[in-house]
Amino acid sequence: MTERGTGGGDGRDPSISNDGDGVELDAVSVAFDDVTALDDVSLSIREGEFFTLVGPSGCGKTTTLRAIAGFEPPDSGTVRIGGRDVTGTPPEDRNTGIVFQSYALFPHMTVRENVGYGLRFRDPPGGASRRDRVDELLDLVDMAGMGDRDPTELSGGQQQRVSLARALAPGPDVLLLDEPLSALDARLRERLRVTVRGIQRELGITTVYVTHDQAEALAVSDRVAVMNAGRIEQVGSPEAVYREPASRFVAEFVGDNNLLDGEVTVLDPPRTTIDGVEVRLPPGTESVAVGESVTLSVRPEVIEVVREGETGADDRTTTLEATVESVEFLGEAYRLHCTWRGHELLVRSDAREPSGGTVLLAFDPADARLVR
Amino acid sequence: MGRPVGQTDRLGVVVRAAERLALPAGLALTLAVLAVVFYYPVGSVLVESVVRAGRLTAGPLLSVLSDPFYTGAASSLFAEPGSVPGGFVTWLRAGLPPVTFGLFGFTAYQAALSTVASVLLGSPGAYLLSRFEFRGRRTLRSLTILPFVLPSIMVAVGFLAMFGRNGPLNTALVTLGLGRLDLLFTLEVIVVAHAFYNAPLVTRLVTAAWETVDARRVESARAMGATPFRAFRDVVLPQLLPSLLTAALLTFVFTFMSFPIVLALGGLRLATVEVWLFARVQNLELAEAATLATLETVVTLSLTYLYLRYEARQVRAGSGGAPVPRRPLLDGLRTVRDPARLGLLAYGLLALVVFVGPMASMVLASVTGPDGSLTLEYYRFLVDQQVAETAGTTRPLPAILNSLLFGAGTLLLALPLGVVVSVVATRGGRGSRVAEALLTAPLAVSGVVVGLGLLQTLVFGTTLFGHRLTATGPVAIVLAHAVAAYPFVTRNVTPALGGLDPRLSDAARSLGATRLRALLDVELPLVAAALVAGAAFAFAISVGEFDSTVLLAEGVDSYTMPVALERYIGNRSLGPNLGPATAMGTVLLAVTAASFVVIDRVGGRWEP
Repeated sequence: MTERGTGGGDGRDPSISNDGDGVELDAVSVAFDDVTALDDVSLSIREGEFFTLVGPSGCGKTTTLRAIAGFEPPDSGTVRIGGRDVTGTPPEDRNTGIVFQSYALFPHMTVRENVGYGLRFRDPPGGASRRDRVDELLDLVDMAGMGDRDPTELSGGQQQRVSLARALAPGPDVLLLDEPLSALDARLRERLRVTVRGIQRELGITTVYVTHDQAEALAVSDRVAVMNAGRIEQVGSPEAVYREPASRFVAEFVGDNNLLDGEVTVLDPPRTTIDGVEVRLPPGTESVAVGESVTLSVRPEVIEVVREGETGADDRTTTLEATVESVEFLGEAYRLHCTWRGHELLVRSDAREPSGGTVLLAFDPADARLVR
Repeated sequence: MGRPVGQTDRLGVVVRAAERLALPAGLALTLAVLAVVFYYPVGSVLVESVVRAGRLTAGPLLSVLSDPFYTGAASSLFAEPGSVPGGFVTWLRAGLPPVTFGLFGFTAYQAALSTVASVLLGSPGAYLLSRFEFRGRRTLRSLTILPFVLPSIMVAVGFLAMFGRNGPLNTALVTLGLGRLDLLFTLEVIVVAHAFYNAPLVTRLVTAAWETVDARRVESARAMGATPFRAFRDVVLPQLLPSLLTAALLTFVFTFMSFPIVLALGGLRLATVEVWLFARVQNLELAEAATLATLETVVTLSLTYLYLRYEARQVRAGSGGAPVPRRPLLDGLRTVRDPARLGLLAYGLLALVVFVGPMASMVLASVTGPDGSLTLEYYRFLVDQQVAETAGTTRPLPAILNSLLFGAGTLLLALPLGVVVSVVATRGGRGSRVAEALLTAPLAVSGVVVGLGLLQTLVFGTTLFGHRLTATGPVAIVLAHAVAAYPFVTRNVTPALGGLDPRLSDAARSLGATRLRALLDVELPLVAAALVAGAAFAFAISVGEFDSTVLLAEGVDSYTMPVALERYIGNRSLGPNLGPATAMGTVLLAVTAASFVVIDRVGGRWEP
């Protein structure tokens, strides 16, 4: 597993506590009436880490966040923040900061009053005055001078910046972000996520980020937890989750992918037969048995469009004769929708002009992954 | 890390602990108040009717049920069940002569008539408000709340003034050479007065349903070849029927328990169960009163249960589509050729007579002498009453002051009660269903029964948990008013709170606010309009309340404007004629109208 650094340690805000761990969930289950929202979820989020919960709607990612914040008391299990057991602690005593998709700014208060609200209950960190702390935070989110505005006068992006400043003002132990960018348009979303990530690095604050957008999750996170149906499917760095999906669900949910089902027919070297075509299994999968059903994950970018006879001699390469059904121009590349023996295959082509008609697709089995 | 404010000083810790306890404590207090002021008194009345000499017995109930005076032809069902088939055959042989079902039968009969009248008078209003656009439509729509805040005894005076021998109606008829109509103390005038109260309810509920009919559904029916009438019958009507039934059921419950209207316009000759019950209390026949109260409450509670069950089954047809667009009401020459618009014109005139007539007649009568000249004599009479030295005089000023004082007290009590119930109700789940039931029960029990219960428990003194509890008249009155008024607060505040983004409260809490602080700092300021509307309702309900007040204010100096009004009607020796009552009624109208203006300004709502 590849791990990234946990953000800059030098520019850390002294107001953020450094003792203890980040956030820990131990066998947490939550049920609404008869529906299980979280099923025995365990997570260990490191101090100062940008940790993302990603999954389709209803997978339990927001429930996990709300369990950390204290809004969904777990039916069983333990929640710890900074090493402290907060399972029975009400939300107001957990010292978390939360940012919602709907901003949830108090419409009857000015920007300044919104940012200062949490300071009514907690002293500003570092002994600063309330006023200075509010100015500092407005400055941090690039909203200096807007303090006397009403939230309703602000654009969506500005409101979200204020919401972030409000959550950070009391110096929380954890920053919780619940789909904070989903209400914004695509370009602003990408810009603001860089801003959020920059502030997070600057403060070194432990951050739990919830999104349904797997591309966003890969782009900003130190580590990602992919969730499905109330369970954690995989936890790892974005690269690990993308390149070594631990389950069929992860392989399908994270990034574009081609999943080919087959049966192991030969063992030395291991091969599988997919619709009558024999395909070599990736190296390191010698543990399979003959007759075992396996799924091969082949990313669109590892498939090449080749000319007849170009790779035929290479025994290691798998070639498939497919038909191009449609072509999407992505700007930097093309995405080809092909069919091969009834399977739909996605192929990414960097060629200057897209291929059409019948093509030969080739990939190195070493670039494919076995998914069980 | 931000250290929690107040961790350092002991006071801060105490304050925070108190904040945490405030909401659960508020809920406990609300339940306690309801228990002591509503459930315990009403329960004690019910118990009294089935316990004689410390033994449980159905005797009193059966003796009422088998008394032909109370149940008419049905009495033999309880007296001699064996004789029923024989009696039925005799009745068939006799050629189906008319049968009566006694006091209960008459009460149900007048309620049924009133329900039909209310639906007939209210439905065209819904058609007008939901299908046509005209100047003043919104105002008219909000005016349909008005009856809820008009004191019923005052409305009764209005009807007396309008339909009296020398009232505007007869003056108009005589002028037209049509002769006099003697409608006072007839069933007809009671039914019309009930329609005055309940037709606007029908209008409101049906209008709300009509406005949610998706225009696309009507259009697709038309596109498939349906005539406008067929489209109405097949698409619109099925969506209106539930609201119509809901309104009819509520109207039946309200008119079954109706009290001041029947008392003032019918007297004992046209008595309903409620009026007869009141008369028993006045004669101090409390045991028989309790028995009647139990039977009446069984009827109204069962009907309310039906209403709640029926309402819960309704699937809100939230189609999300655009409502059918309104047509302009006035459309040049076409207006006079369109039968629908001509019909509405006639309806408008009728509505003017029924709704504006009584109030206008009352104000007019208060300044008109017996000879038809302009006079301030009745207002002078009120002033004379005020300065009179005779003991037992009903003075107007104390009545006005008491009304305002009780209104303010009710507001102060009903507002927190209502808000607490709203907070529980918006949380959803089982809690909100319990809150709904708590909320509806006071609506389903008549004011006279609550008054009787309070009289027998808190006012006469009672022992609760080893403590002797006695409430004086004013305290009992304010408590009874608060129980009657808090549902109006909740009905206004709950939808407003429910409409708030729950994340607002979540955000405040994660920033360190306790549940109470989140409510006080964030939620309540954002629903201020609903709070003001609820407060105005509570005030108006208290100022207009008659049913329990008249029992609790008996013989005490704590009479209110409506009670004074009733005394002026009831005791003609006090004044020359209806004049003093109309003058007092006009003062009451001014006070309630002021409350209504406040409600209207802040957009209050009341959908049962």
